[in-house]
Amino acid sequence: MIWLSDHVRNEWRLYLMLLPTIIWFIVFLYKPMYGLQIAFKDYSIFKGVAKSPWIGWEHFQSLFTNDQFLRAVSNTIKISALNLLFGFPAPIILALMFNEVLHAGYKRAAQTIVYLPHFISSVIIAGIVITAFSPSVGIVNTVLGWLGFDSVYFLTKPEWFRPIFVGTGIWQEAGFGSIVFLAAIAGVNPSLYESAVVDGASRWQMMWKITLPSILPTIIIMLIIRIGNIMEVSFELIILLYQPATYETADVVNTFVYRQGLQSGQYDFAAAAGLFNAVVAFVLVMVANTLSRRYSRTSLW
Amino acid sequence: MSSVTLSDVEKYYGPLRVVHGINLEIESQEFVVLVGPSGCGKSTTLRMIAGLEEISSGTVSVDEKIINRVAPKDRDVAMVFQNYALYPHLKVFENIAFGLRIRKEPKDHIDKTVREVSEILGLTPYLDRRPAELSGGQRQRVAMGRAIVRHPKVFLFDEPLSNLDAQLRTQMRAEIKRLHKRLGVTSVYVTHDQVEAMTLADRIVVMNDGNIEQVGTPMELFMNPANRFVAGFIGSPPMNQFEGTLTANADGLFANVGNASIALPEINNVQHGQAVVVGIRPEHISIHPVDNLPSIPISLDLVEPLGSEALLHASIDNQPLIIKAETHGDIEHLKAVTELFAPTDLIKVFDKETGAVINSHPTGRIAS
Repeated sequence: MIWLSDHVRNEWRLYLMLLPTIIWFIVFLYKPMYGLQIAFKDYSIFKGVAKSPWIGWEHFQSLFTNDQFLRAVSNTIKISALNLLFGFPAPIILALMFNEVLHAGYKRAAQTIVYLPHFISSVIIAGIVITAFSPSVGIVNTVLGWLGFDSVYFLTKPEWFRPIFVGTGIWQEAGFGSIVFLAAIAGVNPSLYESAVVDGASRWQMMWKITLPSILPTIIIMLIIRIGNIMEVSFELIILLYQPATYETADVVNTFVYRQGLQSGQYDFAAAAGLFNAVVAFVLVMVANTLSRRYSRTSLW
Repeated sequence: MSSVTLSDVEKYYGPLRVVHGINLEIESQEFVVLVGPSGCGKSTTLRMIAGLEEISSGTVSVDEKIINRVAPKDRDVAMVFQNYALYPHLKVFENIAFGLRIRKEPKDHIDKTVREVSEILGLTPYLDRRPAELSGGQRQRVAMGRAIVRHPKVFLFDEPLSNLDAQLRTQMRAEIKRLHKRLGVTSVYVTHDQVEAMTLADRIVVMNDGNIEQVGTPMELFMNPANRFVAGFIGSPPMNQFEGTLTANADGLFANVGNASIALPEINNVQHGQAVVVGIRPEHISIHPVDNLPSIPISLDLVEPLGSEALLHASIDNQPLIIKAETHGDIEHLKAVTELFAPTDLIKVFDKETGAVINSHPTGRIAS
């Protein structure tokens, strides 16, 4: 049996390389967990975390009677569901489409173009979206104008927020997200396709009967990760795109926590909302992993 | 059943010519093995027959119908791949049925055919398993099942046994041969293993650098190789080859290899002093005196016992040679060997420059 200390002594170079990540986890993820206790306290910045008095589940009781919070939970789930429904298959479809492109130059150019939005800051992405949907100079309204429709101020209409948000997410991330599926496709044994060609399969049949089943384990792993992040709707982009007029459909748990905690100074209440979010996410990822392991023999752990 | 004809078939990858205009007639029901070292163009040739590679020039015909522009699925060929090409997510039954499902055959026909083929290949107990749950030999059988189930005109095998261990390879080789006897389908088999070629083939095609070196039955190639390449490729161990010069005297024709003199069969159109390569198979060499044959002194390096036989590694004039000798249960007497006797009739003489055989008659002396 090898003791940890012996292992560290022998493999100290590897541990040294691991160190920055461990420090990052401690500083940014584990140490802040100490502050989670304020979700159960009447927190005062003057008394500090340790000396603020315990009040039990009071903040959670307030949360579940707070209409804004319940609306935020509902919005989070709805936006995440839309993201899962449209945003999750998008990179898979894109990867399958790239796989069918035979012209190498065209394929490279197309891939570069769809990867690009991922590298653009969310602030700029939001700027582009706001401009594109602007009622006066936006391309969308210009085109609507050509078609004889009246201008619509999309970003102030609650019913338009979710389609715009989900669409923007797909535009920004589908290309980059397709890389992992393209890598999985590249790992498929080429003789499976050759064998299918001799058997008479069309490209469409090969995609359905070979490519998709072959990359299914990767799809499942990505789905588990996605489900784990279901409560983590892209916070920056929502902050940048939403406005009080669209809170009705746009306000999610994270933006609610941001407003309550940082803007209104209710740190304890916001911590309770954040903790609730984290617990739900934890349960979701556990359930998804267990179901996946049971039914598809593929799991994260 | 179907014949396959290759006429002046060439394959280029950009400017690189990998198959140099080969011509080959494969008769109906024949089992032809393409054999050669890696990169000789044998797999490319097979893939051109399958339609997986485009033919740069020349024609490939099945039953005298040119199939250059016919899609692989319409060529009515079935291929067995080196790494089996089984679909990991499908069970054995579905793997075998794949080609039939793609062709939208009726369900009961698929079921009946797959079960028949599974019975032939002994796969019936494994139909519900996935490929990962099978042994190498079973996977290979499933791959063959996928080919057989379509009742194709031609079977193509691309090194199907090279991923198996030696014992299983021998077993599967026999199974393939039995299967060919039973089904009688024209088969083209690619391998770099000359033992596989010798044991399976009706005819062997030896390829090198994109050219066909020789086509013939296994015994033709063994007894009468067309050139030094074939002599060195067919046979295990391969034919011994020594460089020497021709001399003639009253006793006949000889090759001088250093201080040794090897008696040769009579050959026409050769010159005194001509540089030649003398070839003799390890199994044809005798270590016991034979009437009228001159003794050839050797220096013995090593004896490798194989059981009933042993390989004697020796040299003549610093040119290596291998002798296959019977052990009679003991190798001690082989360690004292100092001379050999080479039966004149079985010696092949090759031109040193071209490598082509000079005495092409399979056996017996050529009259002067």
